Amino acid sequence: MSQIDENQILDRLKRLSQVEPAKEAADHAMQRVRDTLMREKAIPRLRLSLRDALRRRLPHIVAKLAAAAVLMIGAGFLAGRLSAPEPVNVQELQAALESSLKSSLIPAIRQELLSEMEDRWQSTLAVSNAKVKDELARQVRRDLMEFAAQTLAASGTRTDQRLNELIQLIEAARIQDRRRMASAFDYIESRFGNGLVTLAARTDELLGTERAGSVPDTSEN
Amino acid sequence: MRSRQKELLELLDKSGADLYALLTRLTLREEVAEELMQELFIKLNNSRGAGNVANWNAYARRSAINLAFDWRRSHTRTILALGQVSEPVSTEDSPLRKLIHSEELQETLDAVGQLKKSSREVLVMRYLQQESYDNIAEQLGKTSHQVRALCSRAIRNLRDVLGSNDHQSSKKEIHNVTNR
Repeated sequence: MSQIDENQILDRLKRLSQVEPAKEAADHAMQRVRDTLMREKAIPRLRLSLRDALRRRLPHIVAKLAAAAVLMIGAGFLAGRLSAPEPVNVQELQAALESSLKSSLIPAIRQELLSEMEDRWQSTLAVSNAKVKDELARQVRRDLMEFAAQTLAASGTRTDQRLNELIQLIEAARIQDRRRMASAFDYIESRFGNGLVTLAARTDELLGTERAGSVPDTSEN
Repeated sequence: MRSRQKELLELLDKSGADLYALLTRLTLREEVAEELMQELFIKLNNSRGAGNVANWNAYARRSAINLAFDWRRSHTRTILALGQVSEPVSTEDSPLRKLIHSEELQETLDAVGQLKKSSREVLVMRYLQQESYDNIAEQLGKTSHQVRALCSRAIRNLRDVLGSNDHQSSKKEIHNVTNR
């Protein structure tokens, strides 16, 4: 397992033992330690002298502090008593407070109330205005629809009536024509009588003769 | 308290340079050694258990060793696996050679830090401070035979620790290669 032999280890340890710090660095480190130790030395001495001084003078200091405290408390009490205000009449104070509050509060409350009311009215009016507009538009639309329907119905009726009148006029004209024709035929019959029949028979004979003359005789050929 | 400070000032005058050198050898950094030197003397000054110390020099030396290895433990560093550094072609004092030497020393010190406290102290006193067995025995309150045995065992343990570190680093290297 081990790849390092003892000689190598001893060689490394020897090299380590040959490591030497610079003399300046060593001096600096020692001086720093010395300074630290001297400071540490001074601090406890100071602490000691303070402790001794306190121990010796503590009773005097406590007595002086107590006397000073008593004096200060007494002076404060006297000053407080002397500078205290006279007792106050509660009713007068209440009345004064009430009037003062009234005078200061009522205009403010009124103003506040007015502005509040105004705001509410404005909002209500705005809402109702919109409602009214909407309702009016709906009403106008409804009326227009109704008027259009009535107009259409009336015009239809009128057209039917006119057509009926026209049909009656045409019928009357036809009847009158028939009557006139019938009367004309009656007049012709009464005026010419059998002459017409004779005329027709002669005409027929004449037409038969002309037809026979114009047709070539094929039997002779 | 005053006598303690007087003793410490005397110790500083007498062994300050040695203690600083020891701390420098164990940390390999002068500025850290200076800080630890400060800390050592402050601790010695404020230590309540040091009231009945007979040999301030030995006590300070052992405290310095402990402080230095505490510092090493709290500043764990990534050790460059020495197997990954190829040997230089020339044997001159090249920067690479210096780096390898420095890494070897760091590795050795870290391995010393992993030893038991008694082994560590003996090893440092004997091999880094080059003290005699008798002197070490006197400081530790043991016989020189016991100190010799301790030194031998410490070197064996150090060899094991260094070997296992080397083994672990080579295993890591193999693992990295297979992962690539």
